[in-house]
Amino acid sequence: MHKNTFKDILGLNRRNQEYIRPHNPPSAKAVADNKIVTKRILKKEGINTPDVYKLIRSKKQLQYLDWSSLPKSFVIKPNKGTGGNGIIVFYGKRKGENAWIRPNGKTMSQRDITLHIENILEGRYSMGSKKDTAIIEERVKIDPFLKQYSYKGVPDIRIICFNGVPIMAMTRLPTKRSNGTANLHSGAICTGIDISTGITTYSMHIPPRSLISDTYEMIDKTLDLKENKSLSGIQIPNWNDLLVIALKCQKVSNLGYIGVDIAIDRDKGPVVFEVNARPGLGIQVANQAGLRWRLEKVKGLEVRSIKHGIRIGKNLFGGEIEESIESISGRKVVNIVEKVCVYHKPKVSDKKKKTKIKIDKEFTKAFLDTGVLSTRISTQLASRIGYTDVNKYFKQLETPKSFLTFKDAQEYIDIQGQKIINHSDIVRLAKIVEDGQIVIRPVINIHIKIARDKKDLNAVITDDIQYPLVIGRSELTGYLIDTSTTFK
Amino acid sequence: MEYSPFTTWILNNGVSSQTLELLIAIALLATLVSIGRYIFGNKTYGIYAPIILAIAYSYTGLKYGLVITAIVILSTLLSYSVLRKIRMHYITRIAINYCILTLSLTLFLMLINKYGLTLENMVNISPLAIVSIAALGDFFTKQYVKKSLKTSFLTLLPTIAISALGWFLITRDVISTNIINNLWIIPVLILANLLIGQFKGLRIKDLLRFSSILNEKDNA
Repeated sequence: MHKNTFKDILGLNRRNQEYIRPHNPPSAKAVADNKIVTKRILKKEGINTPDVYKLIRSKKQLQYLDWSSLPKSFVIKPNKGTGGNGIIVFYGKRKGENAWIRPNGKTMSQRDITLHIENILEGRYSMGSKKDTAIIEERVKIDPFLKQYSYKGVPDIRIICFNGVPIMAMTRLPTKRSNGTANLHSGAICTGIDISTGITTYSMHIPPRSLISDTYEMIDKTLDLKENKSLSGIQIPNWNDLLVIALKCQKVSNLGYIGVDIAIDRDKGPVVFEVNARPGLGIQVANQAGLRWRLEKVKGLEVRSIKHGIRIGKNLFGGEIEESIESISGRKVVNIVEKVCVYHKPKVSDKKKKTKIKIDKEFTKAFLDTGVLSTRISTQLASRIGYTDVNKYFKQLETPKSFLTFKDAQEYIDIQGQKIINHSDIVRLAKIVEDGQIVIRPVINIHIKIARDKKDLNAVITDDIQYPLVIGRSELTGYLIDTSTTFK
Repeated sequence: MEYSPFTTWILNNGVSSQTLELLIAIALLATLVSIGRYIFGNKTYGIYAPIILAIAYSYTGLKYGLVITAIVILSTLLSYSVLRKIRMHYITRIAINYCILTLSLTLFLMLINKYGLTLENMVNISPLAIVSIAALGDFFTKQYVKKSLKTSFLTLLPTIAISALGWFLITRDVISTNIINNLWIIPVLILANLLIGQFKGLRIKDLLRFSSILNEKDNA
């Protein structure tokens, strides 16, 4: 298990210099800072975001806003706002009045809202106080399961991803003090989530009278609810989907280091609130774990797909972390059942005296077995890739069906081996146990591609294997085998 | 006072000793702010506010400077608290805030003149220094409006602390007697900032913030 030291914690200096600057290009940051553009990009990729009702870019547009077309509940937010500033949620509308109700029960009239929008337009909440656009969008309806942990607001789930791997996650639960928002500085609760299972771990909040900002206190139950519930051990719904969405957001946003805020809507399921190019570091407190060592682990790792990234994240940062994981850095992570490309034996064609060499290939499942030394290939696969001759040749030989001991088998190989190896495709003979009996089988040289590495390996032809190809430990140096899942 | 040949050459080429001292003070104070930010993790109202405040304190004296700062903040807080209940645009609110601040400071100076209140000679204080401190009200309100009153106070305190430290440095005759004759200190400050700019370690504030993580717990 990993023990926290100061070296494992990510501070603001290192976050900015080592992760944000090199991995988040300015163009990608500009997109992430612009909620409207982000929504557009995410929508193109089929990722759900809250629907936009109105975009108000100028005071003139505000003047002609059709208030009657607005629904009872909606959210107003600045397009380029930071830290949740300027966001107002409305839950309902006063009967017969142009006034909307906020989570704390107070109402805001049309005139109040107009003033708030004008402030947004003037850049009061935007980065650098620049002129901004106001977004009026759909209010996400709280998922019934998460409702029991939140006070009049939608909990959001933040997932930090780096290099295509989910690194750390937390959920932010609104409280009475936070006025229904998921803002930690306003009093919301942050709860760490185990990446592997999606189950909540530690919970923290900033106490009301904390003199120093960012001073967290551990709590174990929800606050301000009729029945306060335990905060640890909550299974976040759709956890795998959330991880997939977070990594998809990373891919489309081109941000190497990203914080994705996702909420679970009662009707629509997971919706992305926003993507953050400079995610805060409070997530470390919620998880009681440092970010830095996690980021170091996945730095430079070759991640082939979203599924692969999730598996790496779950294995490395889930509940069970083996000590041996230390050696993972710089190594390729492969599945215990890995998809490999097997190259066929080159075919030589001689059409009109123009000699051509054609090499076909096929994909198959290979079982990575550290329990055996040598690699084995099924007779069927060997035949398919062009070694039918070898199978036929070996069958016609009158070799003993089995041997009593390995010594007997070796003696037979020593005496008869040279004759058999006369076949051009047989490299050598190997003595193996097949169906409980000691037998000798031919070894051929095959060419495969595994985890983008091309390899030449010697494989014993046998029928006593459950997968078309079993790669033995002699060929697995430099790989880390992910045993949590099998290839689908 | 005798100057080094290089300083004499600068002073003979259109730069007054007072201007040079002030410019050196700016370089020193800016470095102080960067150390405060990246080594200690002190958030200030940008780099401009602590520099101006420290220089203003050097003209008013720390005691008077802090009193004027307190008046500015109290007046700003009071006027903003009242004005926020009235519907109006942001800039007009800030403008009214400044009007009230003008009245408060005038009244304060008059009261000091009449009753003393252990503060004498306020009449001799440079008006520009008072105006510089008054600008702090804007920084304070902006933070208050954008974030919260608590955040604004939590930024104000390090700003004043760094300004007071800056005041201490620039009023020790270090600049007027030593640094002015050792101008190589400016490239050294540049180098120091380059090093601070590359610093990736934890800030003191980070250490406090994340100390709970180190409490004998294993990672989940």
